[in-house]
Amino acid sequence: MDHLPDTHYLDPEILQKIGDLELIAREVVEGLRVGSHRSPLRGFSTEFAHHRQYVPGDSIRSIDWRVFGRTERYYTKLYEAETNYDCHLLVDASASMNYASGKVSKLEYAKFLAASLAYIVLKQRDSVGLSVFDSEVRAYLPPRSTMGIILQIDRLLRGTKSESRSTIAGQLHDIALMMKRRSFVVVISDFLVDVEDVLAGLDHLRFDGHNVVVLHTLDRYEIEFPFKGIWQFDGLEQEEPLITQPERIREDYLARFREHQEALRAGCIANLTDYVLVDTSRPLDAVLNEFFFERQATLNGASPSARS
Amino acid sequence: MSFLHPLLLAAGLGIGLPILAHLLSRYQVQRTDWAAMRFLNRSVRVRSRHLRLRDILLMCLRCLAVVLLALAFAKPFMKDAQSIPAGFGERRAGVVIALDASFSMGHRDGKSSRFEQALEKVRTITEGIHPGDPVSLVLLAAEHRVVVRNMAFDAARFGELLQNLQPASEPLNLASVPQLLKSLADGMEAPQKEIHIVTDLQARDWKDRPAWLNDAFNDLTRTAVTIIVPVRGGTDNLAITGLDPVSGVLRKDTIARYRATVRNCGPNPVSNVRVKGMADNVTVDTKTIPAIAPGTSETVSLFVHFHNSGPVRISAELDPDPLLADNVRRTVAYIRDEVAVLNVEGSSGGSGKFIATALQARGGGAGQENFAVQSVPWTDLPTRDLSEFDVVILDNVPDITPEQARAFEAYVRAGHGLVWFAGDNVDAAAWNQRSGLSSIPLLPAVIEQVASTSDALGVGRPLDPSMPDHPVCRPLLSLPEDLLSETRFRKVLQVKPTAIGSTVLSLAGTAAPVLLEHSLGRGQVFMFTTSADGAWNNMAVTPVFPMVLQQMVTYLTAREFEKPRLVGDSLSLSYADQPDASEAVFDTPDGETITVPVRQRRNEYVALIEHAREDGFYLARVSLQAPGMPVAVNVDTAESDVACLSPAETASTFADSGITVAQTDDDLVAAVSQARAGLSFWMLFLFAGLGLLVIESLLANYMRASRGGEHEA
Repeated sequence: MDHLPDTHYLDPEILQKIGDLELIAREVVEGLRVGSHRSPLRGFSTEFAHHRQYVPGDSIRSIDWRVFGRTERYYTKLYEAETNYDCHLLVDASASMNYASGKVSKLEYAKFLAASLAYIVLKQRDSVGLSVFDSEVRAYLPPRSTMGIILQIDRLLRGTKSESRSTIAGQLHDIALMMKRRSFVVVISDFLVDVEDVLAGLDHLRFDGHNVVVLHTLDRYEIEFPFKGIWQFDGLEQEEPLITQPERIREDYLARFREHQEALRAGCIANLTDYVLVDTSRPLDAVLNEFFFERQATLNGASPSARS
Repeated sequence: MSFLHPLLLAAGLGIGLPILAHLLSRYQVQRTDWAAMRFLNRSVRVRSRHLRLRDILLMCLRCLAVVLLALAFAKPFMKDAQSIPAGFGERRAGVVIALDASFSMGHRDGKSSRFEQALEKVRTITEGIHPGDPVSLVLLAAEHRVVVRNMAFDAARFGELLQNLQPASEPLNLASVPQLLKSLADGMEAPQKEIHIVTDLQARDWKDRPAWLNDAFNDLTRTAVTIIVPVRGGTDNLAITGLDPVSGVLRKDTIARYRATVRNCGPNPVSNVRVKGMADNVTVDTKTIPAIAPGTSETVSLFVHFHNSGPVRISAELDPDPLLADNVRRTVAYIRDEVAVLNVEGSSGGSGKFIATALQARGGGAGQENFAVQSVPWTDLPTRDLSEFDVVILDNVPDITPEQARAFEAYVRAGHGLVWFAGDNVDAAAWNQRSGLSSIPLLPAVIEQVASTSDALGVGRPLDPSMPDHPVCRPLLSLPEDLLSETRFRKVLQVKPTAIGSTVLSLAGTAAPVLLEHSLGRGQVFMFTTSADGAWNNMAVTPVFPMVLQQMVTYLTAREFEKPRLVGDSLSLSYADQPDASEAVFDTPDGETITVPVRQRRNEYVALIEHAREDGFYLARVSLQAPGMPVAVNVDTAESDVACLSPAETASTFADSGITVAQTDDDLVAAVSQARAGLSFWMLFLFAGLGLLVIESLLANYMRASRGGEHEA
């Protein structure tokens, strides 16, 4: 984390105590590099970039006549296209997201994450939309550029009654159908379903031309499985409870977990989807800072890749 | 089963700890909601019944381990466990080995001495001792010496200890042995205890023991298995039991006669016993005793010529025999250039002259006077400085002042001699008063009245020929009886001896004292109850008078250190005034130098060695640089009778006492084997307890890691 600014990281548990999501989002985002993401499209907008020689087919309106007057050569103006596209946040609110080894559940964390991202997007005068899904799409907010969306995110997530789900692809298909424009889609979920199912949903989004980022949100206990003694595990998705000795099954669990994570990550890379593993025990601003730093590096030339 | 530390059984209460731990942690299944159920291996399940069984099993193991450890710490043992195989316990024992180190153990019969045989016996005893068992070794003599106490047995180290042991020069003090051995055995922490007494069973010590001593030895068997291990040898032995000056003046260029007494302690007659007289390591006289019957003593006279003044080491030596320690007898003579005598005459009669004449009497051809005698009338006494004289003779002095009485007391206490003669002028009441000024009277008797000892014919009584072995009497003992009986006493003072006064010479028939003696400080006082005057007796004109008087002056001028000591006695250097050096130095016969602090005792300063450990000549010095004064230390020849109890006597002596006598090596091995019938189980319990803890730990791990207690889903 040497590349990160000397930031006072925000403990998720402290954020939970704050309660006001807009305030949380502002607290998290302030100090981060706002608007550092750049459109991959270079088009004709208001922000001049440089000149290039006129070629047939270019619009005559873009010819710089002043340059022609001085040099008697046709040059067209090129402009840097700013972010005038939509960002759509897809938050998984299924029952499995309610797991919390500490005080902050994955869903709570996802809420902070979504609010912070929305705040960043809105600060750039872009539009942000939100979808909440579990076994089906529970809510869909079309992209807007008003701050009020943050409160709506809070209200939506609070009012959502979590339900178990066994697939995710259908929900992503439904959401993809709702989105009219190519968007920057951020999927926040624990993806505790079959990888093929997840990738099928993500494929649809990519097929529609969306720029997709997967924030694989997991609790530290799910990543490390540090249980000792005898434990009864009550499944959040209506699975049968299991009494076992975690120390005995730890290696097996971690192997299966890594296999699942690796398959998801590899699938994302294959789909040109950004993959980021989010540990809910880590400070939110640190996670965001790292995410933006990596993303800018990607946009500056590196190929999309997964980060964990 | 008994326990060495029964109180430690309370540690068994620790059984509550695993039970408490079990109750607190029994079957605690923690619950949690869990999202990633898909990654959990459902084949590993735990059933609560199995958990309970596992916990109870582990708890039982822990409880059993605690109980076993508590038992181990309490040191369990069985005294009689012959029927139990040795593999179930250890035949451990605490062993006290008492090794007789009196000088009779140095008796060498053939190749090896009794002490060397005893060391072999000790090695046999130690062969059966387990490493780590407590062992104590004590050397028995007059002062017993504990070599090791409760040493964790190590065969190599113990062997080294044995190599350095030597018999002492002391006799055996058997009376204090049982108490010492009991304290050593009581101080041992062992399931069973053994006491081995390795001794030559010298008859003088072990035969006819008093009943209380028998009881004390029998009591030992209640504390420990007691085994007597006898070592035996021949009984031939000659010893010089005495070397005493008989006559002569200890003055330069004179000859003194010493009497050496040789005793045949063995059962066989001995002939041609050669006795060598030595002065300062130079042989000065050699005599041969033709024959000495068994159990009897013979004396020889050894003449020593004193060529120089100063201390002379005089010894009498026998040719080597089986026991060397008692073949030498030593004494010291301090030879003076001159002996000054002040003769205070209380009357103008002839008694004073008789005294002076008797002191000067010498053998034919002698060129010098024996003593420098100065005679003064009693009235001139205040004008004389007493410190210039070695001996003061008060002859028929009517009275002295209290100051003079105190001066005489101080004079005697400083180490000088005082001789008091009765007479017609003596004021008995005044003398009794002057004498009794101090807590210890100046004179050895209270004067009563004059008594006539003449018979009807006016013939006085002779001296009693049965005299004590007092240095003053020795010359008289060599006189023929008719010559002794020529001396007749017609009149004596009736006296009542004081508590510390003793009679040296007395009259035949009546036992009326003629000469009394007592010590006062470092000096002596002699009191004649008769006068040198012819009206009281004819002593002055017989050979008795000069012999007694000269011997008396010689005796009075002897130094304290000239008196020989026995091994075990204390050696002291006394100072009248505080010395410059705060420490005195004693060189032992072995050449070791012992520094002793000078301490104040009453009115004098004393440097004291509590016990002289060796026989020979010690050298006492007031400081490192000062000339030394030799002190003779001899062995106590009571130990010289080296006869031992026969096997039959030994068996009867210890019959029904509970004490085992191991006459032979086989007996010893059998006795040790039988004595170690008990088994100690603490190691068994300790290892069992620790083993259970290890098993419990492994089992707990196994139950966590293996499929034991679970089933496939």
